[in-house]
Amino acid sequence: MENVILEQELCNLKLDDVSGILRLARKLNKSGVREYDFKVAVLGSCSIQYFVQALKVLMYQNGIHANIYEGQYDGIKLDVWNNDSEFYNFHPDIAVMLTDYRDIKEFPGLFEDEEQVRDCVEHIASENKQIWEAVHQRLPDCQIIMSNYVIPPERMLGNLECNYLFSEQSIYRQVNEWLVKIHPPYVLLADMEYLASMYGKLDWFDTSAYMLNKIPFALKYVGYAADLFAKLIAACRGVIRKCIVLDLDNTLWGGIVSEEGTNGIKVSPGDAVGESFLFFQRYLKRLKKRGVILAVCSKNDEQTAKEVFTANPNMILGLKDFAAFYANWDDKALNIRRIAQELNIGLDSIVFFDDSPAERELVKLHLPEVTVIDVPPEPANYARTLELAGCFHWASLTMEDVTRAETYHANRQRKNLFTKAGNYDEYLKQLQMHGRVELVNHDTIHRFSQLINKSNQFNLRTMRYTDAEILGMKQREDYRLLTACLADKFSNYGIVSCIILKKREEQCFIDTWVMSCRVLKRGLEYLVFTHILECARAWGCTELSGEYIQTEKNSIVKTLFPDLGFSQDAPSNENICRYRYNLQREFNIKFYIAEDEDGRKIAEYF
Amino acid sequence: MEEKLQNIFREVFEDKNLVIYREMTADDVPAWDSLTYFELIMEVELAFGIKLTTAEISELETVGQLIDMVEEHTGEK
Repeated sequence: MENVILEQELCNLKLDDVSGILRLARKLNKSGVREYDFKVAVLGSCSIQYFVQALKVLMYQNGIHANIYEGQYDGIKLDVWNNDSEFYNFHPDIAVMLTDYRDIKEFPGLFEDEEQVRDCVEHIASENKQIWEAVHQRLPDCQIIMSNYVIPPERMLGNLECNYLFSEQSIYRQVNEWLVKIHPPYVLLADMEYLASMYGKLDWFDTSAYMLNKIPFALKYVGYAADLFAKLIAACRGVIRKCIVLDLDNTLWGGIVSEEGTNGIKVSPGDAVGESFLFFQRYLKRLKKRGVILAVCSKNDEQTAKEVFTANPNMILGLKDFAAFYANWDDKALNIRRIAQELNIGLDSIVFFDDSPAERELVKLHLPEVTVIDVPPEPANYARTLELAGCFHWASLTMEDVTRAETYHANRQRKNLFTKAGNYDEYLKQLQMHGRVELVNHDTIHRFSQLINKSNQFNLRTMRYTDAEILGMKQREDYRLLTACLADKFSNYGIVSCIILKKREEQCFIDTWVMSCRVLKRGLEYLVFTHILECARAWGCTELSGEYIQTEKNSIVKTLFPDLGFSQDAPSNENICRYRYNLQREFNIKFYIAEDEDGRKIAEYF
Repeated sequence: MEEKLQNIFREVFEDKNLVIYREMTADDVPAWDSLTYFELIMEVELAFGIKLTTAEISELETVGQLIDMVEEHTGEK
């Protein structure tokens, strides 16, 4: 019963309710040991006790359960430079470091030149670097989340500070920039300077509180700071949201399209209300660009809804910006479930943005895992509200993120093509695939290693090799390392298959053959096989030999060798199947992948 | 007013049966340390809509002094 009350209070908790947060922290502390998923250490230059209490509550609210180690006052250096410290013994998975501008005690003299200023900045930043490296050495798997410096309002030179590089304010700014330049992948910077600016430095810095208790910022903001870090910690643990489901009427444009028509809705640049919605669309488009998935869920006739995107010239978002588009009269909870299924993402990955309070309540009730944004009545504030909700904090940005929208778009196009084609062979033909098989080289070796070491399904022997081992093999005459790339009408997949061949006198042994699951059932293995044959023949071998070593995950390649025409040796071991292929035999299986014109023949290398 | 204050004490120091009196100091309450004290002041300021000065906060020793300060600040309003 007590837990339910706790959950309720957590649900309704507002970030500015410091009393409430601290009260809940006390309750959490009292309610005894819970199952912890991982460990978080918090170190800080100032008093961190309130922050830690708030962090407990906000982590719980964000669905993460961690065991916390609280460092001592002025404890970043104390804990990090002491080899035997409790911090190291605690062995945290995540180390939060709260820095403070008061840590920086040395500044350049007035009128010092650019080079001297740079030296000073580098020196300050390198102190942080040394701390990161020390932690990383002792705890190589620990992710560090460190706040950048919040620049204080009191200035020696007043407004002149922004006119000179040697001023204190300029130094703080340059140090923050330097941190961006030098932070390694295991350090995530938390933008406290942004947070303080957003809420206002006048209120953020409570000088009296610092004098009394060395509290770095006003207690009023401890909830906001803790929420940011809780979300960043969640992101580092892979708990992120990827998709925003949007309503249409009065969310992406002003008015109701079924009543006002495609050109009657408010979305034109000349109109203040229209501009508000365009501003929101622009913000959403930028989110899409960095990999947030956009989806539509609207109570509308599908044709009418889609027509706005195709016929209204003022729209900034287009149909192809959406990975899913559901305009119908079914209830929104059902549609959101459909979206989750179509996109193959969890409900807890979804954020719902709808101007209608009734729709929001319904979704909150039926889909508690979905994050529902408390949309304000003023459309000009939509983008700001979404930003402040902080639902899309990620731990990093990858190429996969940035091309995600295109991938969804291309997948949809392939799906449509398949429906039109009628049968699978026709579909493959219409995909207009082309590919290339060649020897691995200096530029492709990293991808080669990556594929070998992370493929589990299309992987015959699950041999894992280090970069050093791969380089060694590449150099040897009795090894051939091949890569295969593939593209179709809609996407270019890059290198998606890797092969290691070993010459054993008259026999060419297939040591490794892996393929990315993104391109299964395209026939790429047949193209690859023609090149394996070429290679083996050029070597002067008389037969190919291969092995299938069964694992939990690779059953899809169990029949690969028989399908290619190999004959099976008598089994000597239950898990290993051995096969042979006489090189005099012709290979006739049809596939629909054209070879790139500029692809070089492997035989040329002999 | 004293009852309101007592409730704040009870909440912050996690003691439902705590009874405050003028001569009470930090020594009389096990949970009263510099941190919980600061929280207490924050709650008092919030509850009564007042702001105590750094000097007042750092010089306070007894509950009686706190009662007087609150009266003074709320009287001013």
